[in-house]
Amino acid sequence: MNLQDFLAMEESRDRDELIDLRSLDLVSEYDSHLMCPICHCPFVEPVRLQCDHVFCGSCLSSAITTFRSADSDEFPCPSCRNPTQKVSASVPRLLINMCDEIRVRCPLITEGCQEIIPRGHVQSHVEKYCGYRLLPCPDDSCDQMTRSKDVGMDQKCIHRVRRCSHCEEDILEHEYEEHEKELCPILEVACVDCETVVTRGALQEHIESCPEVALPCTASKYACPVKIRRADIAAHEQSCPIVAMGPYFEAQNTRLMSLESSMRHLQQRNEIFEDGLANIRSTLVESTRLRANSNGSGQSAQSAREQQPSARADVSTDDPADIAASVFSSNATTYLLSLHESLREEVSQLSHAITDLDARASMAIMNECLRIKEDMAHTNAAVNSVRMQVQWLMNPRLHQGTRGGAVRSNSSENEGTRTQMASSAAGPSHTSGQSLGSLRPRRPSDGGREGTKL
Amino acid sequence: MFATKRLSKMQEHLPPGIAIVKCDNLEEWQMDIKILDQNPLYLDQTYRLKFTFNNKYPIEPPEVQFIQSPASTGTPRSIPMHPHIYSNGIICLDLLGSAGWSPVQTVESVCMSLQSMLTANNRDERPAGDKEFIATNRRRIRDINFVYEDDNV
Repeated sequence: MNLQDFLAMEESRDRDELIDLRSLDLVSEYDSHLMCPICHCPFVEPVRLQCDHVFCGSCLSSAITTFRSADSDEFPCPSCRNPTQKVSASVPRLLINMCDEIRVRCPLITEGCQEIIPRGHVQSHVEKYCGYRLLPCPDDSCDQMTRSKDVGMDQKCIHRVRRCSHCEEDILEHEYEEHEKELCPILEVACVDCETVVTRGALQEHIESCPEVALPCTASKYACPVKIRRADIAAHEQSCPIVAMGPYFEAQNTRLMSLESSMRHLQQRNEIFEDGLANIRSTLVESTRLRANSNGSGQSAQSAREQQPSARADVSTDDPADIAASVFSSNATTYLLSLHESLREEVSQLSHAITDLDARASMAIMNECLRIKEDMAHTNAAVNSVRMQVQWLMNPRLHQGTRGGAVRSNSSENEGTRTQMASSAAGPSHTSGQSLGSLRPRRPSDGGREGTKL
Repeated sequence: MFATKRLSKMQEHLPPGIAIVKCDNLEEWQMDIKILDQNPLYLDQTYRLKFTFNNKYPIEPPEVQFIQSPASTGTPRSIPMHPHIYSNGIICLDLLGSAGWSPVQTVESVCMSLQSMLTANNRDERPAGDKEFIATNRRRIRDINFVYEDDNV
């Protein structure tokens, strides 16, 4: 269909549907190819242009009305800017099905509907099945709205107000029964502990003061197991040893707390110091090793000689060399670990730099591509114009060629040149007599060849 | 209408060199863009763009311009030098006009177009008649009729 028809069709389409499919809350992920590039929602009633780009019908119609130059029958496609005249409503069924399958929340979630349904079913769900849709009250005299699930078979109005005969409160008709049986504050109930009968409204107040209610001893958090009636609790607290100890426990507790926190503090500081110590040790070991290396083997021979006499004496005591060796080895591992750590850091820095470079390179390539594309377009245009000019130049030549006399002279000339070219290409050994024959004595074989050639 | 949803959807993944500064309402957004290659005109600089949307976006183009921000705010921003950018930040670019705009464009695509427009430039100058334009222009951006005569930059 052409653009005019399409616009007319979009305008006449029934727009007073209940639901705006674009404002639905999507639950499932959907493929980005199902997204209309104009409204960035899954296609709604998609249509297709000549260039195979698909848009929502309503998006495209608003784009056409804005971008078409005054009633022309062409319109540039929003995606590729190709001029297009026809809009096709026949979009592959597959595409529509995929869009309809996207799971969405019922739009009546504000009313309390928790259902998740495929998008294609939203319309029918809201119209027929959703219990939370607001309908006008079945009673014509009532102007309130009712959820469709609350409209019973008997089509009764549920908004009529009835006054409770006990408490003088206004209660809705359909809640009245529950109110009368369970909620009305005037109803009388018995206290579970003292069996005094009080009204429901005053029950809370009664429980606060009822002498029969069992209360735990105030020292229950310090393990006093006694639970006793309110009336007797004062007497118990007089005699309870744990209540007497209460303030002391309190003080102990706070002290423990403060000690714990200071402990934690000290632990942290200790860790920091240990770290620092390890660092210092590793640097020391490094420096001593360097010195040892530089001193060379001469010293080691000397120390061996020195150690020999003292070896016997050192058997019983701790060998300082041993300790040094163990310290050295542990320090070497820490040193290696730190080295490893720094190397790792370097590697991560390098990887950062590489990703950075990557982004830059891709950007640069993109820009270069754009520039090259433009250049190509220019070159194309230039080639085209050259072609035009050549054609224009060729035209008079061709016209001349068709004229009679000129043809013959031209063609004979052409033939002459052609033979010349052919002979020169054949090589100097059998040059034809036309141009060079006077310069050389003609051989008998030449004549024969010439004859076959002409 | 549905533009609301679309604007908030793009925040998820942004192209390199583009960052959102302010997008708390759907009338005005601010974006920061960086030029990622080694063009000496824009090396290590960040520029701030202001997008103003009307309620017909994306059918109609947003108003886009560079804005300045003084050094005292902690994020100094200037107006980049370019033969198509006036010193008050107004940009002369055909795809921001109603003739060159297409509704499939997004905030990201506009930012990327501006990045490449700056990248490809090597002229350290303002448009002809810059001073005069700034002194006399009182129109809103969408009402200015630019003539897109220069295709080289």
